[in-house]
Amino acid sequence: MAKRILITDDALFMRVTLKNILTQNGYEVVGEATNGSESVELYKQLKPDLVTMDITMPEMDGIAALKQIKAHDPTANVVMCTAMGQKNMVVEAIQAGAKDFIVKPFQAERVLEAVSKLLAA
Amino acid sequence: MKVQYVSPFAEASVNVFEMLIGCKPERGSLSARPQMFTSQQINIVCGITGRVEGLVIYGMSMITADKIASKMIGSPVVTFDQLAASAIAELGNMISGHSASLLAAEGYQCDITPPTIIRGTNVSVTTLDIPAIVIPMSLPEIGTFEINVSLQERLAQAA
Repeated sequence: MAKRILITDDALFMRVTLKNILTQNGYEVVGEATNGSESVELYKQLKPDLVTMDITMPEMDGIAALKQIKAHDPTANVVMCTAMGQKNMVVEAIQAGAKDFIVKPFQAERVLEAVSKLLAA
Repeated sequence: MKVQYVSPFAEASVNVFEMLIGCKPERGSLSARPQMFTSQQINIVCGITGRVEGLVIYGMSMITADKIASKMIGSPVVTFDQLAASAIAELGNMISGHSASLLAAEGYQCDITPPTIIRGTNVSVTTLDIPAIVIPMSLPEIGTFEINVSLQERLAQAA
């Protein structure tokens, strides 16, 4: 059965791009959240195998959403996918439980490498 | 305004354009404006907060925006629809995010706000009383991409 992924990004363009990369490589995109609070809600409803998480978003940012998802499910696979690549942001995300950190703009291979590594186990 | 706040935006835009659409922009000469003002048709506005704060506006013509969005999406943009607007907004987000990393490396920790697109010419933004520095970037076969940076160092840290 295809692994189920929840995409979180406020930009329609990024959601479409990520969805194309993932579905063309055998993953199922079960949900698309446009901000952090939607992502937390959808995570609880859909129980995906993995979440991609943008950081700069309206309403609730990706770091706050990551913390809430990890509080709800400590085993959650969350991969940050953001334009903010500074060291303190990466450290904060990893400390909060993110499994990987992808800086935009990215190549499709970078996303697939991160996802397959986490979902192979 | 210090030039060291501006250089990261030029450097970031070169990196982002190269990686995103395989096009290396050429940096034109800087100019200053007493206020934030753009005469471009499509403008992406990003807020910067932290050790330096202010606004950055990325401006371009409709034709340039169509060409960049087409390359990002991977198919020609016929009308500048929601997906094209989102691609252009995300371009602004990527350049701002990359610039914030470069600024942080220089000791200016800062964060960015989600981008806003303003369509229409002769837009003047007067929320900040700081001058703007304009960097024109020339993209071969695409057009001119103008970066307007209006930033100042935060004087007192909030308690």
